[in-house]
Amino acid sequence: MKTRLLALTLALALGLGFAQQANTLTIAQAQDPQSWDPIDTFFLAWGMIGSSIFDGLVERDLDMEIGPGLATSWEWIGDDDDRLRFTLREGVTFHNGEPFDAEAVKFTFDRLLGEEGAAGPQQSNYTSIDRVEIVDAMTVDLVLASPDPVLITKLAGYGAMIVPPGYVAENDDETFNRMPVGTGPFKVVEYVSDDRLVLEANPDYFGGAPSVDRVVFRFIEEPSTRVAELQAGRVDIVQGVPISLAGSVENAPDASIVPVGSPTVSALRFNHCLAPTDDVVVRQAIAHAIDREGIIDVILEGYGTPIASFQSSMSLGFDPELEPYAYDPELAQRLLADAGVASDATVQIDFIGSDAIFREVAQATASMLEAIGLNVELVTHETNTYYNEMVPENRVGHLYYSGWGGWTLDFDNTAGLLYGTGQFWNPCFTSQEVDDLLVAQRQTYDQDEREAILQEIARLEHSLLIDLPMYQHQNLWGVADRVQGFQAPADDRHDLTAVSLAN
Amino acid sequence: MLAFLIRRLGQSVFVLIGITLFVSFTIRLSGDPAVALFQGASAPTPEQLASIRQALGTDRPFLQQYAEFVAGVARGDLGTSFRTGGPVAAAVMQRFPTTVALALSSLAISLLLAVPLGVLAARRRGGVADLIVRVVSLLGLSFPNFWLGIMLILIFGVRLRWLPPSGYEGPVSLILPSLTLGLILASTTTRLVRSSLLDVLNEQYVVTARAKGIHENAVVYLHALRTALIPLVTFVGLQIGGLIGGVVIIEKVFAWPGLGSLALNAIAVRDYPMLQGTIVVLAVFIAAINLLVDMSYALLDPRVRVG
Repeated sequence: MKTRLLALTLALALGLGFAQQANTLTIAQAQDPQSWDPIDTFFLAWGMIGSSIFDGLVERDLDMEIGPGLATSWEWIGDDDDRLRFTLREGVTFHNGEPFDAEAVKFTFDRLLGEEGAAGPQQSNYTSIDRVEIVDAMTVDLVLASPDPVLITKLAGYGAMIVPPGYVAENDDETFNRMPVGTGPFKVVEYVSDDRLVLEANPDYFGGAPSVDRVVFRFIEEPSTRVAELQAGRVDIVQGVPISLAGSVENAPDASIVPVGSPTVSALRFNHCLAPTDDVVVRQAIAHAIDREGIIDVILEGYGTPIASFQSSMSLGFDPELEPYAYDPELAQRLLADAGVASDATVQIDFIGSDAIFREVAQATASMLEAIGLNVELVTHETNTYYNEMVPENRVGHLYYSGWGGWTLDFDNTAGLLYGTGQFWNPCFTSQEVDDLLVAQRQTYDQDEREAILQEIARLEHSLLIDLPMYQHQNLWGVADRVQGFQAPADDRHDLTAVSLAN
Repeated sequence: MLAFLIRRLGQSVFVLIGITLFVSFTIRLSGDPAVALFQGASAPTPEQLASIRQALGTDRPFLQQYAEFVAGVARGDLGTSFRTGGPVAAAVMQRFPTTVALALSSLAISLLLAVPLGVLAARRRGGVADLIVRVVSLLGLSFPNFWLGIMLILIFGVRLRWLPPSGYEGPVSLILPSLTLGLILASTTTRLVRSSLLDVLNEQYVVTARAKGIHENAVVYLHALRTALIPLVTFVGLQIGGLIGGVVIIEKVFAWPGLGSLALNAIAVRDYPMLQGTIVVLAVFIAAINLLVDMSYALLDPRVRVG
């Protein structure tokens, strides 16, 4: 502690602590995931930084295309397509000098699928893998226990990032959580919990050395403070600029807003176990009563896109032909009368209280539903309680908020978890037709065939009004003018190798 | 004095047992850390949840978990964080100095402002200076601390660029957050100093001192002020608890890596050991401060020892 204080004081005396350093890129994000081990977390905050430190066998670029990573090629072999063979990249070393080879791949997956992985959440994403077999030093087979058409995408991120066997074995769990070692474009040099993570360029990176020498990630939870740091010229890139502050960033002399379509969609889900929302005609009335374009224009200040399905336009299964329900309050009123709903019936909308934007959306929605003759009650919850108890136990009202968008950009994730009968987050809705389609698309690796089935599910979602998608989000990044070559990542996972800084 | 000390220490032990029991119990009511790990990104199966609960040890009965926690505390071991996998004691002790530095510098700023201003207002009672001090301190009481924090960031960090808006970069980073808390705390303290000094200035012995022809400065600073500041000692002790509460919010505004952010993050991910450890250390700290205050009071006023 004393030495740290002394070092800080010295740095300060030398004027280092204050101004931006010449070739150091500083990025402010809200959350510190507290552990950098790939198998420990589902946090977006981990994903933002994880791909700078680690690599997967395959990588997904900023245009969301899958390409070679630590493996240069792969093919399905075996009679039942139950074996995926990877040819590994030669000459790659981990940041600590360990060689990358088939042993490292096997170690990574044995760890993820074994006892250590069982103590964390990532294992659940990779249970289709039965085991890894080493063919030779630079060839491995992933042997599958069950078909998994999304597997290759999932190998590009999070739990499947390759870790160094020697380093993990020699150090305790906490050391790896704090000072991780990967093969990525940057290596970790310093981590101060809840304050900063300092990365240094890996000159030997197989994809070429990054342009910047260092990247400092700062963890600043308060959005107005993050924006203030950008305006003060001490931070180059800010994640999660709130809509209310977008204007002040645009007005700043040396920074601007970069919006990017996010995989996340906000929806109001219907409670199919409660009257009157168990009646599809009532659900249609509600869908026609809400002016979503108006909500996007006024509350989201245009930073959102109307959407007809609970998936972003990037997702496999998105059907561009599908149109959102039109705003038509008169039709809504007639439908409500047709359904025989009493004129003073009450519906309850549940949402997360800390979400300031959705609070306004919920209030606007309430006034629109009141305009067609419904009484509306708004009920708020705390995030974890909401997702972990209220929704799974169906202790929510007629309409309830959900924000969803898996990083795999595949409707299998959302539809499987939210529409499949008996799923954790689907306590109520059930449809044999949807269940059969969900099973069918998991049995084939033909992505065109899968897309057709997933689009069919999306059409059912729309016609049955399983839920009411409100809008696709746009993530707002605040970026200083001196930053060049930055492409805002749609899935929040940075690729900083091409970013450089003007002097 | 010894009997007093023993009695107060005994009380503190009961307070700590109550606090740990309350915190351990309520955070367990608030949700399952195994489910919280999934963050709505994947659906856990019951088997996966069971294996995570077993790894975390949350599948055992509450009283067993609590007993192990208390036994650990007695050994100085606050357990292992669910999230970082590291010892809680080390994480808490690493943050402790940053939070205490913030609390103490806020307190120092408030006293440096409050005592001179309170004295000034009392001496010019009813005058312009008194009016200004009273109005400004009332304004200070009305500001929410996070709002004042953001205003100071915008003025001194963004517009003037004199000070770092946030983060932990050494002593200079202390200025804005401790000014935020210090200014607000100074509002109440100034009013206390003013009214306390006014009371004392009306005492018989002060009137006598004045009648003897002693210079007014000597009357105020040598005779009245020392007596007037005795309630301040108690007040400051009582403020420490509230100050720590304010620090939690201010740490968030200024991205200050202290115990407040540690506790808030622990709540967010249901990291039971980390939250319990943070609360225990804060509770011991506040109890110790209050004990010191009571002892100093006992030294100043013998009636407390027997009462």
